[in-house]
Amino acid sequence: MRDFLLGLLFAIGGGVVVAVASTYPTMPTLQFGPSLFPTIIGVGMMLGGALLALTNLTAMRAASRDTRGLTGRYDIRGLLVSLVPCALIVFYIVAAETLGAMLCMAISMLVLMQMRGARLWLSLVVAAVVSGAIVWLFSQYLLIPLPEGVLLPQLTLAG
Amino acid sequence: MVFNAQTMLVIVAAATFGLFVGAIPGLTATMAVALLVPITFYMDATPAIAAIVATSAMAIFAGDIPGTYLNIPGTPASAAYVGESHRLALQGRARETLGTNLVCSVIGGLFGTLVLVFVSPSLAEVALKFSSFEYFWLALLGLSSSIFIAIGSRLKAFLSLLVGLLLSTVGLDMMSGAPRFTFGVPDLMAGINFIPVMIGMFALNEIMGFYASRDEARSVPAMAKDSVFREAPRHLRAYWRNVLRGSSLGTLIGALPGAGADIAAWIAYALGKSRSKQKDKYGTGHIEGIVDASSANNSGISGAWVPALVFGIPGDTITAIVIGVLYMKGMNPGPTIFMEGGGQVYALFTVFFVANLIMLPLGYMAIRASKVFILTPRKILMPVILMFCIVGAFAINNAVTDIWIMLLIGMAAYVLARNDFPMAPAILGLVLGGTLENSFMSSMLKSNGDLLAFFERPISAGLGALVILVWLLPTLLKGYRRLRSPKTEVSHDTP
Repeated sequence: MRDFLLGLLFAIGGGVVVAVASTYPTMPTLQFGPSLFPTIIGVGMMLGGALLALTNLTAMRAASRDTRGLTGRYDIRGLLVSLVPCALIVFYIVAAETLGAMLCMAISMLVLMQMRGARLWLSLVVAAVVSGAIVWLFSQYLLIPLPEGVLLPQLTLAG
Repeated sequence: MVFNAQTMLVIVAAATFGLFVGAIPGLTATMAVALLVPITFYMDATPAIAAIVATSAMAIFAGDIPGTYLNIPGTPASAAYVGESHRLALQGRARETLGTNLVCSVIGGLFGTLVLVFVSPSLAEVALKFSSFEYFWLALLGLSSSIFIAIGSRLKAFLSLLVGLLLSTVGLDMMSGAPRFTFGVPDLMAGINFIPVMIGMFALNEIMGFYASRDEARSVPAMAKDSVFREAPRHLRAYWRNVLRGSSLGTLIGALPGAGADIAAWIAYALGKSRSKQKDKYGTGHIEGIVDASSANNSGISGAWVPALVFGIPGDTITAIVIGVLYMKGMNPGPTIFMEGGGQVYALFTVFFVANLIMLPLGYMAIRASKVFILTPRKILMPVILMFCIVGAFAINNAVTDIWIMLLIGMAAYVLARNDFPMAPAILGLVLGGTLENSFMSSMLKSNGDLLAFFERPISAGLGALVILVWLLPTLLKGYRRLRSPKTEVSHDTP
C-alpha cells in the first residue's frame, strides 16, 4: 500500500518537475538548455513511480482480503512522536530570533529528554550546560553568528 | 624544518582540532581548514602547511567515529560506508571497526604521500588530460554504480538517485544563468549545499527513528573483548588487495581536479563490492567494504595535492584553500616549485608522513574516548545531536534556509528509508549531479551538439564503454546464469 502511494507520489512529482522545467528558456546555440536535465529527471520519476505503483497494485489486489493485517502495521503513535523533533526544529527557526539560540536549544532538549523519561534534574542540567557550551563554541570559537535573541540581553541589562 | 618543537606542537594541536571538528556532524574537513587559515598567517611556511595537512587528515578519519556509533557520518567522506560500520558496531565491534578504519586511513594517507613524492608530475599530467567528456562519463559511471551496489530494489535505488539529481539542479543554471526550482528564495540561487542534505538524510532520519521506537534497543553494545588494534592485522592480511586498490584509486581520484575524498570513498566502496567474493555480506556489517573506502578517502587527500603543487590547480576544496596559503607563504605552486622551493617542498613531504603517522596514537586515544557514545543513554545523546545538527546546518552559510532544507530532506528521507529506499544513491546524485550536467552541457557546446564526440577521445571512449558495460551487466549475468543452469541440472541428475 505504502509503495503504491509512494510510486504515485513520485509519478505526480515527476509530472510537476516536467511542467516547471518546460517554462525554462532554451539556449540560442543549442536546441536545449536548462530544462534538459530537469525534464529527463522528471520523466524518469514519472516512469519509475508508475512502475513502482503498478507493481504494488498487483500485490495489493492479492492481499486485499486481509485488509486488517495491512492497516494494523501502521503505528500512528510512533509517526506522531517521530514528528516532535521536526516540530522543535520549526520552533527553533521561528523563535530563535526572539528567545535566542541558547534558550531555544535548552527548551528543545528539555522537551525531548522528558519525552523519553529522563530525570528532570538531569534534563535541566544537560539542557543548560550543553546549550551554553554549543553557543559559546560556535559563537566565540567558530565565529558563527547564532541569534542572541532579545530576551536574554534585556534581562542582563536589567540585572 | 619539521622535527622541531614548534612544528611538532602545531601538528599535534591541529590534529586534535581536526579530530574535534570531524567528529561533529555537519562540520567538514574543509571547514576545519578554512578556520585554520587566519591562524596560519602568524606561522612560518612549514608549520602552516603542517597544520593544514594534519587537520584535514584527522578530520576525515574522525568523521567515522559518529558514523560508527550513531549511523551519522561526521564528514561527507564517511557517508559511503556509514551503514556498514554502524552495523558492525551494533554487533559489538565498534572499536575493532574504528581501529581497522584508522590503520587503513593511515596506510591510505602514506600511500598517497608516496605517490605525491615520486610520481606527482606524471600523475598530474594524466589528470590534466581529463576534459568535460571524460568527466561526464566518470560522473555517469559513479551514478550507475550507485544503483547496482544498492541493497534491495533497484527501482527504488533509481528513484532515490533521481531525488538526489533533482536536488542538484536547484539554483542558477551554470550555462544560461536561469534560476531553477528556487521559488524566489535568494538563498537557493547558489544551489542546495551537500551538508544540510547529509545531516537531514542521516542524522535527522536517525533521530526521528529513535523517537518513533519505544525502546533504547538501537544503541551500540559495549563488548569487553572489543579491542582497537587486535583484529586490524588479521583484516589487513585478508584484505591487503583492497587496501592497495582503495589507496591507489583514492590517490588517482583525488588527483582529478574537483573530485576529492568524498567521491573517492564512494567509488572505492562500489568497486570493492563489485570485485568482492562475498558480495552478499555487504550491507550486513562487512569489514571489507570499510577497508576499500577508508583507505581511499585518506589517500584522496594526498592525491588532491598533486595537481595543486604541480600545476596550481586544486584537486578539492581543501587544496583550493591550500593554494592561497602557499602563495601567501611565498611557495608559488607550479612546475617550478620543485626548483625554486626545493627545501620547503621536501619539508612539506615530510610533514605529510608525520601527520599521517601521528594519526595512529591520536586516533587510538580518540577511539578509546569515544566510549562516551556507548555510556551516554540515547535519551540524553539524541537531543544533544539534534542541537548540533541545527547549528551545523546553519553554520554552512549562516542561513536559516539550510535548516529548512535539513528538516524537509530529513522528513522525506525518514519516509523513504522506512519503505526500504536506499539513501546512498540520493547522496551520490546530489554530489555528482552538477558535474554530470555541467560536463554534458560544456561538451555539447564544444562539439556543436554532436553526441558522437563523447566517443572520439580514447579515455572518454574507454570510460563510455565501461558505463555501457555496467548497464548491461545484470542482463548479461542473467543470460549467463540461464545458459549455465540447465547444464547444472543435467549434471545433478546424472549419477
